[in-house]
Amino acid sequence: MPKFTSLEQVQQAIRQGESSLEAVVTHYLEQIQASRDLNIYIEVYAEEALAKARQLDQKFKQDTNSVGRLFGAILSHKDVICWQGHGVTAGSKILEGFESLFSATAIERVLAEDAIIIGRTNCDEFAMGSTNETSFYGPVRNAIDPSKVPGGSSGGSAVSVQADTCLIALGSDTGGSVRQPAAFCGVMGFKPTYGRISRHGLLAYGSSFDQIGVLAHSVSDLALCLEIMAGGDDFDATASQQAVPAYSQLLNYQGKAKIAYFDTAINHPKLDPEIRQSSLDLIEKLRADGHQVEAVPFDYLDYIIPAYYVLTTAEASSNLSRYDGIRFGYRSPNAKTLEETYKKSRAEGFGTEVKRRIMLGSFVLSSGYYDAYYTKAQKVRRLIYEQTKEIFQKHDFLLMPAAPSTAWNLGESLADPVAMYLLDIFTVQANMVGIPGIAIPVGTHSNGLPIGLQLLAGHWKEAELLAFAELVLQTS
Amino acid sequence: MAYETVIGLEVHVQLNTHSKAFCADDTSFGGEPNTQVSVVSLGHPGTLPKANGQQIALATRLGLALGCKINQRTTFDRKNYFYADLPKGYQITQDQRPICVGGDLDIKMGDAWKSIRIHHIHMEEDAGKSIHTLAPKHSFIDLNRAGTPLLEIVTEPDLRSGEEVDAFMTAMRQLVRYLEVSDGNMEQGSLRCDVNISVRPHGQTSYNDRCEVKNVNSMKFARQAIDYEVKRQIKIMENGGKVKQQTLNFDPNTGVTSPLREKEDAHDYRYFPEPDLPPVVLSDAYLNNTNQALPQLPKAAYNELTQKYQLSDYDASILVEDRETLLYFQGLIQHTSNYKAAANLIINRLLPWKQENKSTLSTFPVPSTSLAALIALVEEGKVNSTAAYQNILNALITKPDQAPLALAQEMNLIQSADSDFLSDLAKEVIAQFPDKVKEYQKGKKGLIGFFMGELMKKSKGKADPKASTEILQQLLK
Repeated sequence: MPKFTSLEQVQQAIRQGESSLEAVVTHYLEQIQASRDLNIYIEVYAEEALAKARQLDQKFKQDTNSVGRLFGAILSHKDVICWQGHGVTAGSKILEGFESLFSATAIERVLAEDAIIIGRTNCDEFAMGSTNETSFYGPVRNAIDPSKVPGGSSGGSAVSVQADTCLIALGSDTGGSVRQPAAFCGVMGFKPTYGRISRHGLLAYGSSFDQIGVLAHSVSDLALCLEIMAGGDDFDATASQQAVPAYSQLLNYQGKAKIAYFDTAINHPKLDPEIRQSSLDLIEKLRADGHQVEAVPFDYLDYIIPAYYVLTTAEASSNLSRYDGIRFGYRSPNAKTLEETYKKSRAEGFGTEVKRRIMLGSFVLSSGYYDAYYTKAQKVRRLIYEQTKEIFQKHDFLLMPAAPSTAWNLGESLADPVAMYLLDIFTVQANMVGIPGIAIPVGTHSNGLPIGLQLLAGHWKEAELLAFAELVLQTS
Repeated sequence: MAYETVIGLEVHVQLNTHSKAFCADDTSFGGEPNTQVSVVSLGHPGTLPKANGQQIALATRLGLALGCKINQRTTFDRKNYFYADLPKGYQITQDQRPICVGGDLDIKMGDAWKSIRIHHIHMEEDAGKSIHTLAPKHSFIDLNRAGTPLLEIVTEPDLRSGEEVDAFMTAMRQLVRYLEVSDGNMEQGSLRCDVNISVRPHGQTSYNDRCEVKNVNSMKFARQAIDYEVKRQIKIMENGGKVKQQTLNFDPNTGVTSPLREKEDAHDYRYFPEPDLPPVVLSDAYLNNTNQALPQLPKAAYNELTQKYQLSDYDASILVEDRETLLYFQGLIQHTSNYKAAANLIINRLLPWKQENKSTLSTFPVPSTSLAALIALVEEGKVNSTAAYQNILNALITKPDQAPLALAQEMNLIQSADSDFLSDLAKEVIAQFPDKVKEYQKGKKGLIGFFMGELMKKSKGKADPKASTEILQQLLK
């Protein structure tokens, strides 16, 4: 069991003199040391975190009201989020040794509230993967069973929370990369509406899908982090200017909800029977509590993954062009001309999965193929968007498994990328449409691994979604 | 066989915004290499573009001035290619919904106007500069220019000669300067063009395959490149060959065009919508306000000058060349209705003054009211034009506060029509040159000019020429 499962517990322990922030950091550093085999972190900021903890302990001692709202929060962040003066590599050789010259808006905002960043977590290379096995720094292992993957691409982030090496982790979610590993690891994972949190300082994979997400043990921590990170940003034109509600103060769900689910999802041939049963059990439970739960038709479940991979790889093929060996990052020592510099630096610097996706993305954007793939996939996205919007006109939430199975064995996915892509079948819809989603742990499979289910809500309905997730957790 | 040259242009205008197209970097010209850069223009991981409102405003302004249809929902796209001076590996541009569509620019060829249609105008960012001449084995990259806002104006293939291209580029430069959209400086690369050239037999209505000539950064080079290319293409056709569509580089040192390497020409740019920039939506009110704020445009000004003020084509063309001159003229004629005199004064005196002093007309020391008074003195016959526009004006430049009439008096330049004074002078002249008088009386009437000149000398320029002539003619009978 983790020492702390919410920020409130940490703050209470410090306030009551049972602990200091330094002691909390020391605890997490010990946990990091103890779990090194899991390969969670690419870099641990031990000294920096301790120094900051001592400084904040001092500040707190002088005036208990002087500390920020994230005082006591020890955070890890995925290796795709920039922190000024610190490394950021996206789990890739091509950025080995690269230090960011600026901080992501999300990082700036949590630091301004006195959060402490303890380290940078491993992930699939450029967030491309669903098992955290494509990282140049080696796979991350699931803390419950180290022979299993943690899910991905924010696998390190999920295990950093799961293994009690920090309180809260920042990840990124392009097609389920926060929610799916959260489900595999038995923690909570939350992805807000597209545009809710600035992407400034988030290394791009699929720009129109990417969103920073949060992993934690408690809904209240997710809500507080969101509240602090969300909001408009001059550095990101796609970040919404919409007012940010005080999510952490709005966790009391009132009334009865209208919940939709898809028969095609619950009865999907690839869905593990025990996860199906968990879903059905939750549906029954919700009905028993007076909520309205009904199956709604959804015509595009099988089109989601193909369309998603066409669109995200197209964007990725362009987003990753800047890693060319010219201005920063890996440059092949074997190159003699400009063209060779491109070819060799990229061939040697990127891993197999990233190259696969760059090639796929370049192909679908090529003249002669653009309409058949890119344009068609955009149409599919539009249809999914329209039908999902329609569902949320009549329903508050959509209930879905977070993943079709529990965590896979290490190595299993590498042989069959398409099977790995299908791991995202239930999470990608939220990114295609831009809606918020949360994965919550609901039980344990007979194989001993966690089962996570997913709740989705309409655009900008984070407050309702988080409050309802809290209600479900408390009553189940 | 007679051939017709067909030319379309892709004109790049560098906008005079303070900051770059998608970030806050400074855009001024001539900084030390790689000093006007930031994580955004360097394409660092995690950076995002942000559209520059000023670029959108200037594009709209130019589009409205050219009579384009403005796409009120305009979107950005990415053009993907690798080059060392392109940090992101793609250029942000507009492909599917450019900001302006259609429109035209009229150029004046001799006495006739010709309308050149615009296909569209799109916004984009410039690349950095590659410098290959500093060292034999290395290239240098300056990214100061990377991300600088550009407009690309793509014309229909309506141009027919190097002269027309010259006229079009001159008119475009004049327009962007009127609109304060760009400094239009070709030497510094603020205005440059790629030239698409094809040749066809006279009478043929379809177009032949065209060649695109890049790297044309002056009008002289454009004409040279066109001349060379037209000859090259005609030669191919006369030899029974077919001109291949390709991209050519123009070498200003040799005046020759040559094909880029096959590979450089075989780009598939893989355009797709830029996901980091939401569509730009322009309201009706925005367009109305922009339209209302447009200045009088060069052609309208030319028409006003030639029709309303009856100025010659020559005078009008000079006065509308730049907006400052036009505004000065329009200011001056608030105080005088002798438009021709006002035009002459500006063309013959003020513009040379501006050139000599490397200054602007707005700093010309003599107020328009004094210039108008000077014109009036000539008109009323009080001083002759030489005295007014040379002697008095020169004095005014050093003493701009003085009234022209007072100066004329002080300088003793008021013309005299007093017949006693004039006949005294006339008698003196006649007495002085008896031989000439005889010649005149024998019929060499042209000598009247000589007598007149001598009389004027004696009067120190004050003699009224008309009255003097009459008196001289009378006395010489």
